[in-house]
Amino acid sequence: MTRWERSVPVYGIPVITRGFWALCALIAVGLVLTVVREVVGLGGSISGMSDPFAWGLWKTFNVMVLTGLGSGGFAVGIAAWVFNNKKLHSVMRVALLTSFLAYSTGLIMLGVDVGRPWNFYWVAWLPTWNLHSPLLEIAVCMSLYASVPLFLENLPPLFEYLIYEHPKWRGFALGCEKAMKSVYPFIVGLAYILPIMHQSSLGALMILGGNRVNTLWQTPFLPLLYVWAAAFLGYNCVVLCLLLAKLAWKRDLDPSVLLELNKLTVWTVYSWTAFRFLEILFRGKILHVFTDGYLSILFWVETALILGSAYVLSTEKAKKISTMFQAHAVCALGGMIYRFSPTTLAFHAKEGATYFPSAIELIVSLSFVAIAVLAYLVAVKKLAILPGSNEEWLKMAKYEEQAKPGIQLTGYAPVEH
Amino acid sequence: MAMTRREAFKTLAKGSLPLLAAGCVSTVLPEVAHAEEEKIEAPKGALGLLYDATRCVGCKSCMVACSQANDLKPDTTTDGIHQAPPALNYRTKNIIKLYRTADGSDHSYFKQQCMQCIDPGCMNACMFGGLRKDPETGVVWWKGTKCVGCRYCEIACSFHIPAFQWDGVNPKIVKCELCRDPIQKGLRKQPGCTEVCPTQAVIYGRREDLLKEAKSRIAANPGKYFEQRVYGEHDAGGTQVLYLSRVSFDKIGLPNVGEESIPSGLKYSHMLYKWLALPVALYAGMVAFAGKNFKEHSHHLVEDQKKTGLRPQL
Repeated sequence: MTRWERSVPVYGIPVITRGFWALCALIAVGLVLTVVREVVGLGGSISGMSDPFAWGLWKTFNVMVLTGLGSGGFAVGIAAWVFNNKKLHSVMRVALLTSFLAYSTGLIMLGVDVGRPWNFYWVAWLPTWNLHSPLLEIAVCMSLYASVPLFLENLPPLFEYLIYEHPKWRGFALGCEKAMKSVYPFIVGLAYILPIMHQSSLGALMILGGNRVNTLWQTPFLPLLYVWAAAFLGYNCVVLCLLLAKLAWKRDLDPSVLLELNKLTVWTVYSWTAFRFLEILFRGKILHVFTDGYLSILFWVETALILGSAYVLSTEKAKKISTMFQAHAVCALGGMIYRFSPTTLAFHAKEGATYFPSAIELIVSLSFVAIAVLAYLVAVKKLAILPGSNEEWLKMAKYEEQAKPGIQLTGYAPVEH
Repeated sequence: MAMTRREAFKTLAKGSLPLLAAGCVSTVLPEVAHAEEEKIEAPKGALGLLYDATRCVGCKSCMVACSQANDLKPDTTTDGIHQAPPALNYRTKNIIKLYRTADGSDHSYFKQQCMQCIDPGCMNACMFGGLRKDPETGVVWWKGTKCVGCRYCEIACSFHIPAFQWDGVNPKIVKCELCRDPIQKGLRKQPGCTEVCPTQAVIYGRREDLLKEAKSRIAANPGKYFEQRVYGEHDAGGTQVLYLSRVSFDKIGLPNVGEESIPSGLKYSHMLYKWLALPVALYAGMVAFAGKNFKEHSHHLVEDQKKTGLRPQL
């Protein structure tokens, strides 16, 4: 077992593999279908959406659910920078990268989903803003977050890459890095307040669904529950990425950091679940957890997946890597269902109305996920994202310096304050 | 560690940045200050419809008249059958349906079109004011140049009214606007539906007058109308289209949504955003903590570098 001291690129493995081409193929098909959707519209066999179910997978899954999963950037970030949990600095880069990819693909997906995207330029003209609209809050905050603080937070690995591998750009990158350091606390502050605002607004969206959203989900506290769920989903996603790196590239794990993340997940889930039950109780709707047929079952499925896996994470069993992996995966699944339910499963759109995504919706949705996965796979091999030990860095440096004569990955930078 | 005057100024300047930003934002967005909810009243000249289901004979002439008045293309969505749509859609702003029990013992026709809410969910949902309320007549209408096509209005309407054009590259949101456009152009005096109704089941006028009329009908016919009340007087915060019915309202497509308007569910969220004070305070607090911890962290990085000789990472 090792200690995570710095981020180290995945080395000695080609970027272009069979999986790379498979993802590219899926993306290509998805992009072609996106063009078809733009030309034909959303009707007919293009999407399963209808007037009662006006929102389909692209919004409810790619945005509502996946940006929750991509909340590691702010969930881990707050713990590390605001609450000074020093262990978590080592996994920040993974968290930030997953967040950026989830958000950017989600935002592009939104652009594909809406019917009149050319009118979106109004977002730049403040007097047209309807400040009562939760969606306006999301449109402004989410695009601002992804394009400014989250984007900036993801730059340091890129600067580092330039510093080491492109001497021509070294001066520029060093300058940028220095400038970034001088304003870093202001950037991270923005990177936490904006997600808190828009992740809660994602919940506020469904408040306007009124009593068509089942009472077990519909509450004035839906925004709070949404952002809270985003926090543990973010932790789940980061841990899963780290464990997958072990599986795929045999990266060493630092149990102390993972256990710290487990602890955070467990307490976030416990408090979230307690709040959810108490809120339903005080609203006087507690009997609905038994009386609403399949929706009651859905409620218990969510609770069991989330709470059960958090319980497993709190025990000694979670020290076993496979158990930890399964628990986080199940917890993430439960959280994703929770974020999805109010929009679709627990949304009584209209008597007799149903929604099931069309094949095209599914493929396009998956192809946007594929874009994020592909970008992630390339990034961790080219940039120092995944955490490792100093020893690992030295090994990597030796390997890379042999493969690419002329670059120097150790002992380069002068000590500076 | 003692602070030089220069450092003190720097800290002060940095610390006041968020405040400065907050000041700018709240000047630019004066409405943020008025985010608090008060019960919204209908405008003085609010126009509406009164539909009395007991008078309707189900002839559907209002549907044809509506299509004519609004230049809607023939609705052939049901297997090509002309003007027999199963529900409101982008070619049908007005529809007559029949409620009938399985054994045929009870039935009632009913009409569906936009309720012209006093505090509309759709308008509150809309990002850039694509759906807006006429300040004089209170008619909720669609402005295409501000609509992004996000369809949030469809989620936010308890009455399932706004319809999206699912085909084509330039989709529209379609709903009853009380023939606002042709009336403004002087092409007609009243909406198509009320003009042709042979039994006066649906009539047009000022909401105030319609409400009086509805109440006098209830008074004149005790026991005839369901719950002896007008649907829309208070429901969903009040609507400008009013209904009278013999059978229960939920049987004729009028959901039991309570007296609070749909957007009032957001009042707690609006409170949190009042003056943007809470977000700004939270931001300032997090920057302060992050700044302190960042300094400490940077220090550690430099120490580590001395030990390992490896370049520190941010």
